[in-house]
Amino acid sequence: MDRRELILAGAGLALAGCGVGDSGGGSKKATEKTIAKKIDGDLVYFNWSEYLDPAVIKGFEKRHGVKVRQSYFDSMPAMMSKLRAGIAYDVIFPTAEYAQRLIQGNQLRRIDRDKLKNADSVYPAFESPWYDKGSDHTTPYTMYATGLGYRADVIKGMTGSWRDLGDADPAGKAFLLDDFQEGIGMANQVNANPLNSADDDALGKAKDYLLELKPKLRGFSSDTITTMTSGNANIQHLWNGDIVNIRNQVDDPENYRFQKCKEGIPVGSDTFAIPVKAKHPGTALLFIEYLLEPEVAAQNVGWMGYPMPYKGAATESFASLVKDDPEINVTVADLDQGEQFENLGRDDRQAWDQVWTEVKAS
Amino acid sequence: MSQRRFAAAFLLPGGLWLALLFAVPLAILLAISFGTTDDLGNALYGWYPENYQRVFEPVFVPVLLRSVGFALATVVLCLAVSYPVAYYIAIFGGRWKSVLIALVVLPFFVNYLVRTYAWIAMLGDDGVVNGVLPGDGIRFLNTPWAVIGGLVYGYLVFMLLPVYAALDRMDPALIEAGKDLYGGPWQTFRNVTWPHTFQGVLAGTVLVFLPAVGDFVAAQLLGGPDEYMVGNLIQQQFFAAENWPFGAALTTVMMLFLLVWMVLYLRSAARETAAIA
Amino acid sequence: MKPPKQFDRPRFLRVYTALFFVFLFSPIALVVLFSFNSTKSLQNFDGFSLRWYQQFFESESYRGSLEASLEIALITMVVATVIGTLLAYGLVRARTRWSNGLNVLMLLPLVTPEIVAGASALLLFTQVGLQLSLTTIVLGHITFSISYVTVVVRARLAALGMEVEDAAMDLGATRLATFRLITLPALWPAILAAALLVFALSFDDFVLSFFTTGESPQPLPVRIWSAIRFGVTPTINAIGTFMLVVSVIVIGLAMGLPRLLGRRESGLGVLLGREAA
Repeated sequence: MDRRELILAGAGLALAGCGVGDSGGGSKKATEKTIAKKIDGDLVYFNWSEYLDPAVIKGFEKRHGVKVRQSYFDSMPAMMSKLRAGIAYDVIFPTAEYAQRLIQGNQLRRIDRDKLKNADSVYPAFESPWYDKGSDHTTPYTMYATGLGYRADVIKGMTGSWRDLGDADPAGKAFLLDDFQEGIGMANQVNANPLNSADDDALGKAKDYLLELKPKLRGFSSDTITTMTSGNANIQHLWNGDIVNIRNQVDDPENYRFQKCKEGIPVGSDTFAIPVKAKHPGTALLFIEYLLEPEVAAQNVGWMGYPMPYKGAATESFASLVKDDPEINVTVADLDQGEQFENLGRDDRQAWDQVWTEVKAS
Repeated sequence: MSQRRFAAAFLLPGGLWLALLFAVPLAILLAISFGTTDDLGNALYGWYPENYQRVFEPVFVPVLLRSVGFALATVVLCLAVSYPVAYYIAIFGGRWKSVLIALVVLPFFVNYLVRTYAWIAMLGDDGVVNGVLPGDGIRFLNTPWAVIGGLVYGYLVFMLLPVYAALDRMDPALIEAGKDLYGGPWQTFRNVTWPHTFQGVLAGTVLVFLPAVGDFVAAQLLGGPDEYMVGNLIQQQFFAAENWPFGAALTTVMMLFLLVWMVLYLRSAARETAAIA
Repeated sequence: MKPPKQFDRPRFLRVYTALFFVFLFSPIALVVLFSFNSTKSLQNFDGFSLRWYQQFFESESYRGSLEASLEIALITMVVATVIGTLLAYGLVRARTRWSNGLNVLMLLPLVTPEIVAGASALLLFTQVGLQLSLTTIVLGHITFSISYVTVVVRARLAALGMEVEDAAMDLGATRLATFRLITLPALWPAILAAALLVFALSFDDFVLSFFTTGESPQPLPVRIWSAIRFGVTPTINAIGTFMLVVSVIVIGLAMGLPRLLGRRESGLGVLLGREAA
């Protein structure tokens, strides 16, 4: 360690009032500097695994003569952990509510929409979304809806409700997503509360419902594709893109169906974002633009199985993927009627965490 | 070279490294365990001993007890499963001993995750085993036994190797003498073999029990909602709940618990060495 | 002379051991078998094909992870072996008041659950402002490998006895020369065995790497973890099989090399602390 780091180590060990890692309060000035749209080095890419067609990445590398250095996270908090640890990623893919958090913390570079070709083909619902008013710091990557995936050949009694998760399978081979947002959000909807309710009353009811559901479940799992394809699950709480991927992997795809539930459809989106610490923002901007090109977007959608909210080739590509079961599609109407996860403040989020931890531990 | 310089040259690199990269992080962990989080989820230092109070809340105590229970069951099963095999290889192995032991160790070099997923493929409801069983088959996965099975499979080698080493080191003449003295094979085992291999068993117990308590992979992949272990709880605090201070408090409590056993083991091992000397 | 048997008819033990190996290897067999499957299925074998291996080796991201894992394991092996050997020698031969404390400090990592290790390492690096990268992974791995080396080498050292060294020093050799010319050559099998053990453990490590990994490339087990969420494809099996083959070669070397170099004791015996016959 050089001297600077030694001093940092000493300071770090001093108690009282010091924070761990990046305090997150960046300067606004650093974020607003315009990014020049040109190649300025290799791309440091950080995303979910299996969420972008490797052929598409190769295409970008070939066209611009750069390398894309990839690493992957498996949850939003894991992504935040690594960002907080100071790693300089160039392009990341936060969900909408985490994008809002990052924007509020001045952690994302400004993206000039008019410089991005094809960015204006985005669905009107995303023109100036709730998490990024003015669409200055992100542009959408995918959108998805949460519902229930189920084996149509085994389960006959689906009623269109969230309660089917616990009740529709007599064999009880049901799994809930191991994700506190999705779990509590669903419970809120079942109780006819808004998706993001965090007051004591709503959370109390949510906890009661989850505790009542738990004995009927076989497990909590976010490995939704594995549970369904291995036959462990007859019914699984999952995202619509997962069903597409599951159907690709099994011999009888017509038996794997998706249900959007009448109590409510949580709709989410993942976004492209350029962190303020990025060392190659120009390349990142070019990468985003490349992914929005119609042919590239269409190919990507076909590979990953999730819809990209851009008119034209991308939408058609997804529609043809799900033409046998349009229920899987996320339409504009769904976007208007569905509820989106909001960025809860610290206290609310801790309240949600507490409920979830207690439900899992009971 | 003087005694002191000699000691320094040899002990300093290791000692310094471990102090800086092992002891210091543990100290930081301890410090954070008394802290709290800010709005953005960052951990802050402070004085919030209530983190520790929370560890012992009624909702979490079963998780702690369950982890200890699973770990104990794992130890017992590992011992029951591996002792006969170790015995066979050590006493009857002959010139195949090394090969057999290598075969035992081999599976553990396939990636842990890949191995566990193979179990899921084998024991899943549509898996290989259920494919040959009549009727509806048996639901293996998402049960406490699946988790314990996964733990046993994962830590087996840490019990087998020390037991084998102890058995192998034993002088065969002792068994011969024992048979003369005690007559039957079981009495010989109880009075001669077992006491001589006890230190090996103890070492194996420690090497299995301590990591098993903190394991989270087995419960996450093979368990159901009721198989939540303290390792899962800790992992959740660090990666999902973004509550590092609480995660650190849980970790510290777990470490202290394990330290007690380690100290007892070290004392026992030291007594044994002194007795032999 | 055949070893005297406690139980004169080992048939039960033989059958038991055979069953044990079946249990041990069935998931492995499954992994290997399906890595050669011509279709995506993990339940029905549809024919022989090398396409998954092709995918693995053609994928830049997997290749990068493989190279990263190899690099990390190699550096860890070298550094940890050096530090660990020095530490072992110092602990056994030097008399200082630090020895007891150092002994405990050295043993602690062996019984620290990986999740604790990972969490505290992450905290340390974040605090110090050290960017997560291959370097941080290596630092973490070395910290937890030193203890393995020390334990293995120390067992060998204890078995060797001090007589030859004492004689050399009586004849006027310095400590350093004694160490270099007498002890080191005698320790060589143990050092080699320990080094190869460290390599294998580092190559397969998941939890510690998971916490301390930075941007790309991520080590192979971490890469597998991210990919496995999206369904296990036979590519994962191919990777698992490949890692198995690498580990087999490593163990083969660990066992065979000492013999090749003219020692009577195989590396495995050395690892288990057996005295030179």
